[in-house]
Amino acid sequence: MVVGIISYNDADTVGDVVRRVSAGIAAHAPQGCLVLADGGSTDGTVKRAESAAADVCPLVTVDYSRPALDPLAAPYHGWYGRAAAILSVLRAASARTAAACAVIDARLTSVSPEWMPSLLEPVLSEEFDYVAPYYERHPYEGAITKSVIAPMFRALYGVRLRQPAGGEFGCSSRLLQHLLDQTYWAAKDADSGIDIWMASAAAVGGFRVCEAALGGRTHVVKEDPPDVSTALGQVVGGMFADVEARAETWQRIRGSQTLPVFGRSRGEMTRQPVVDVEPMLDRFRLGFDALRDVWAWIVAPRTLLQLKALAEAPAPQFRFGNELWTQVVYDFALAYRARSMPHDHLLGALTPLYLGWLASFVEETCGTGDVEDRLARLGEVFEMKKPYLIAGWRWPERFRV
Amino acid sequence: MTWHSLPDDPLWYKDAIIYELPIRSFFDSNDDGIGDLRGVIEKLDYIQSLGVTCLWLLPFFPSPLKDDGYDIADYNAVHRSYGTLDEFRTLVSAAHARGLRIIIELVLNHTSDQHPWFQRARQAPVGSPDRDFYVWNETDQRYRDARIAFVDSEISNWAWDPVARSYYWHRFFHHQPDLNYDNPQVLEEMLRVMDCWLEMGVDGFRLDAVPYLVEREGTTCENLPETHAIIKLIRHHIDRHWPNRLLLAEANQKPQEVRAYFGDADECHMAYHFPVMPRLFMALHLEERDAIVEAMENTPSIPDSCQWALFLRNHDELTLEMVTDYERDYMYLAFSALPEARLNVGIRRRLAPLMNNSRRRIELLMSVLLSFPGTPIIYYGDEIGMGDNLDLGDRNGVRTPMQWNGGRNGGFSNVDPGLLYSPVLVDPVFGYQAVNVEAAEREPTSLLHWVRNMIRLRRLFKVFGRGGIEFLKPANHKILAYLRRHEADVVLCVANLSRSVQPVELDLRDFAASVPVEMFGYTEFPRIDVAPYFLSIGPYGFYWFELRHGS
Repeated sequence: MVVGIISYNDADTVGDVVRRVSAGIAAHAPQGCLVLADGGSTDGTVKRAESAAADVCPLVTVDYSRPALDPLAAPYHGWYGRAAAILSVLRAASARTAAACAVIDARLTSVSPEWMPSLLEPVLSEEFDYVAPYYERHPYEGAITKSVIAPMFRALYGVRLRQPAGGEFGCSSRLLQHLLDQTYWAAKDADSGIDIWMASAAAVGGFRVCEAALGGRTHVVKEDPPDVSTALGQVVGGMFADVEARAETWQRIRGSQTLPVFGRSRGEMTRQPVVDVEPMLDRFRLGFDALRDVWAWIVAPRTLLQLKALAEAPAPQFRFGNELWTQVVYDFALAYRARSMPHDHLLGALTPLYLGWLASFVEETCGTGDVEDRLARLGEVFEMKKPYLIAGWRWPERFRV
Repeated sequence: MTWHSLPDDPLWYKDAIIYELPIRSFFDSNDDGIGDLRGVIEKLDYIQSLGVTCLWLLPFFPSPLKDDGYDIADYNAVHRSYGTLDEFRTLVSAAHARGLRIIIELVLNHTSDQHPWFQRARQAPVGSPDRDFYVWNETDQRYRDARIAFVDSEISNWAWDPVARSYYWHRFFHHQPDLNYDNPQVLEEMLRVMDCWLEMGVDGFRLDAVPYLVEREGTTCENLPETHAIIKLIRHHIDRHWPNRLLLAEANQKPQEVRAYFGDADECHMAYHFPVMPRLFMALHLEERDAIVEAMENTPSIPDSCQWALFLRNHDELTLEMVTDYERDYMYLAFSALPEARLNVGIRRRLAPLMNNSRRRIELLMSVLLSFPGTPIIYYGDEIGMGDNLDLGDRNGVRTPMQWNGGRNGGFSNVDPGLLYSPVLVDPVFGYQAVNVEAAEREPTSLLHWVRNMIRLRRLFKVFGRGGIEFLKPANHKILAYLRRHEADVVLCVANLSRSVQPVELDLRDFAASVPVEMFGYTEFPRIDVAPYFLSIGPYGFYWFELRHGS
């Protein structure tokens, strides 16, 4: 069994992470091995890690190459070089013929020894192949995942995975070998799409998938977080690219299955932050004025008329319905596939719509404690409207004869 | 999962969709009037946008071009009009980067009479290895049972060489002497040629005129065991040194004879299905399915790893060699009212003119091509409905410049029109101002967009490339209906070959409780039960259904 920690200049956090992970390994899998995949840190990360692991758990260090920075590229919202780092860990696990492998971020401050059995026991004892994290989050955290990624996973890939791009994960040797056999690692946007790709590879590849409740996830943020448009473009772009690559598969999948959850789940945190929806509504309305001609290239005329009505609605009546949102997301996915316009322009045009959905979501759920049910209903609608996506995929609206 | 790279799948050709193009005709990048490799590179985005997965390049080697490049004078180089070896390498890597494979021609049977091997042979002493690179005889009376392929231009398979003072054997034009595979050095040289191109990254070879490699007295000199022995040696060499590469046999023979070119999966991976092609046209004209069903049911089974190559039209005439005399007469009457459309034993026309430019009939034939068992080949220009030019000799009328836009020379080249290798089409129906890629791109309902969608749809379902076929035989013979099955997938295809709406009752009792889902619009049709399943289909209409089990 191998647990990989991926790091780059994380001397301030890696020691704690290694200590907690080592304690977890020592307590639950004494034969386990700790692998540090480091991208050439210059701040003493490796030494800190070695020192923290000493006498508790054997530590092996492997290198990975961080890709050259493109000065014109938008900053990646996650870990730059993450795909290469994960690949290094998986290779190390494969070389050691590990029965199970988990990957942990060196910047985590919330990791505990209990995460190890949560991520690895389902593989070692229950024959699961992919263990996705299920973190406790406040209702509006991870809203891109909630609004687009999770419902698309449910409708298209047939698994109700709530946090498909969660960060940490566990996997079996069978899945590990499958992942290593793929060519995705060298793809241009592998960094931003790697988590979605691994989860979808497991979901549609005949692998057994489950979730592990890990509690809250906190980590040290070293770079300025990207704006919402950049994050949305990277995450949703990664999802759409995955959908395009797996078209042959997801069009055959019908229905969806709930997944077993290991560990104690408290679901969404009940504590709800105060969110001012007015700026989001303003951006939606401004977006409608500025982008409606662009949206007209992407969404169906009836959808555009519904968006127009929404833009004119007063705040108390502003409700972005599940059907409308599903239609928007599917139309954007179809436009992405049809290359109706450059992908960055397309995904940029989604931002005001997403903010409109988020504003509506906040208004609908604020103080109701109804978040899980609300998201479940959204997933149902994504699933129900899947034939619309398939029909449009096979015979795009604009090519009807 | 590919993510812009070529899947490591030894059976990739089963799922492939091949686009055939002559480099000379595709795009002229340097404005000398002749298409070139750089031109193909510049148009790779277009080719990729079609959804095809493999390019088949017609011969581009140094040649006197008396047979459109099939008269090769140097196997290891590129004709100077088309570019350089470096440009070829660039093309291969650019194509691979787009997920496109490349297969090229390997003319095993003969060379040009300008090839150094022939020039050396005609001067070498009788009986020497150099002389024996070709097939010589003192008279023109050997192998008299062998037929003449190009009956319109050749009267014998022997030609006199005044330098050698001997006759040499040629199954095709007299300027294409046949190589002598009884001389082991010939095969050694050919394997070296193959290695050279495989090293550059090509994904396979179309083995031109492969049945004629060896001659024996008292035979037709076609399909001889010695020829199959040569092919087995070639296949062994490929399998040993070059995994995932393809051999495609061009054997214009009856299916039972073509079957032998698959061997026990130890000869060619693929071979053309010649008999079915003319019968598709014939059935459509007769408005009844029988010719197609008969051709397919007479098709022998082939090893699991092998595959038929299917096409509607290509760079040659629509050959009628593999049909009966009655069928040939019918085809001539139905499709070549103009005598100049006939050539050798065939009809030298493109798809759209053969269909009188009927969009519905073109679509119907394309739908059959894309849903029949085998790998479809699309001839350049057919995706936009290009026409032909019967005023040009031989088969040049179907090899005119690709029509890219309505500008000078159809966007093919900026050269003075008089310097083009071939005139562009200018007639009011098929001319470049009426039929071109730019216009088709801008018109959402164009044939080009339709073809793209169909190709993409086919690619979603492995059953089309890998599944078997079973014909349903409803009472209405104007309806062609067949099932394609692969593993758990079942697809039902139904086509109306007639010009009027037709009813049909299909016996689908084996699929009782299944739900047909129409594949283009993802529309569920009524559930099947044990009673005959009724459909009505519009003129030249067709449906593809997934048969989905249960609710």
